[in-house]
Amino acid sequence: MTTHIASVGMGRFGKRPEGLIDLAAEAANLALEGIGRKPIDLLMVGSMFAQGPQGREALLPRLAGRLGLESASGLRVDSSSGTGGMAFHAAVLALETGRFDRALVVAAEKMTDRSTAEITRDLAASLHMSEVAAGATMPALAAIISRRYLDRYGLSTDVCDLVTVHARKMAVANPNAHFQKAVTPHEVASSRAVALPLRLLHCSAISDGATALVLEKGTGPATVLGLGQGFDALRIVDREELTSFAATRIAARRAYEEARLTRKEIEVVEFHDAFAPFALIHMEDLGICGPGEASQWFEKGWVAPDGRLPVNPSGGVIGRGHPVAASGLAEVGEVALQLRGEAGAHAVARRPKVGLAHAMSGIASHNFVTILGTRAA
Amino acid sequence: MIVGTTLELVRCRSCQTRFLPTDGPCPKCGSTDCTMYTTSAVGKVLAATELHYPATGWHSPHRLALVELADAVRVLAIVDGTLPVSGALVEVRLDGPVYRATPEPVG
Repeated sequence: MTTHIASVGMGRFGKRPEGLIDLAAEAANLALEGIGRKPIDLLMVGSMFAQGPQGREALLPRLAGRLGLESASGLRVDSSSGTGGMAFHAAVLALETGRFDRALVVAAEKMTDRSTAEITRDLAASLHMSEVAAGATMPALAAIISRRYLDRYGLSTDVCDLVTVHARKMAVANPNAHFQKAVTPHEVASSRAVALPLRLLHCSAISDGATALVLEKGTGPATVLGLGQGFDALRIVDREELTSFAATRIAARRAYEEARLTRKEIEVVEFHDAFAPFALIHMEDLGICGPGEASQWFEKGWVAPDGRLPVNPSGGVIGRGHPVAASGLAEVGEVALQLRGEAGAHAVARRPKVGLAHAMSGIASHNFVTILGTRAA
Repeated sequence: MIVGTTLELVRCRSCQTRFLPTDGPCPKCGSTDCTMYTTSAVGKVLAATELHYPATGWHSPHRLALVELADAVRVLAIVDGTLPVSGALVEVRLDGPVYRATPEPVG
């Protein structure tokens, strides 16, 4: 492939007073300034909740107008919490056709102006309706999968606490992260129950935020080496495996194949830890370790910025915050920052040459893997 | 036949996959050549949880269990009663659009 990330624009994630358009425009302008405002001929936008009330309709034309991109082509995608990953893949595919030279990808979400009950209901739109009919929510299904994972490998919830401790520790070094305070294992373990084994601090938060990237034809430090997508049964009762996500395994295999790389060559990874135990599952599905082995990576600190493989140096979804559509693009953006040497205080110990970003839709029904690297494929 | 001791499941005639009834085709191969069959309503709890923040319209405590029936067919059921541990046996019944699980009496 001959597409690279030329610029990364990230606003602060968290509880923000601005509306959706303002958040999207802030990230977009940061990304555009990074390339000296060269012309953009494709605007790719992703948002999950932008169809709702409060003037969020028509996000794409409103944003094009705000950014002065009326002469660009525009597309909008939605894949629930994987929207940012989908928007990035769609923009790369569009550039690879040769039809466009430079794309601005923007993923944004405004969530904190609505109640937790409303957000919970809307997030459940990414689940199968028969399971929602039984009162299932995202945390409920995540809890069932987590319980099964812990039972299968004989683990206590202590390791889930360590996942959150790592995420929050990383977030402290990231000025754009929602959470700027580290937590102790005891604080995680004594946070209130959401759906056991999941407690509040094992779950990603409701956040506002946006990310924007500029993609160009050509190569650079953050060249796209491989893309992969995978689906799994939407109804969790139809899945062959509960403690591993087929959508990640398929996506990772395709991305590694296209990049002609193995996991051994990956030097930084950002994955979608919407719930702490999912970090363990992702480690295994991305081939970082074998089934049931992920817990020791957190226990032994191998995921630290100076560890065997730095994991989620941005804080991940748990530490950076989770404006759902923006998270998948922030994951790609973080890997690009690391490769480009622009990660500042959250840079990993050794500047990586190859990195992997993973995004997840719903309960892993449609996942995206992106491999970026300094060399041209 | 005693009412409540069996459940209706679906078998795909094309790929032989057995699955929980759905309004769509076989989730494995997409075939619509499927047939209903009955099996024991007793299954084993794979995992269960209690929602401390139930979805709108549901009352606390709302408990859900993922239950494995015969032929490895799984069902997500609302738990009537206390939260079962993993591995516990429950009886599953269809109640309108949802499944409900109750602990299987011992003996």
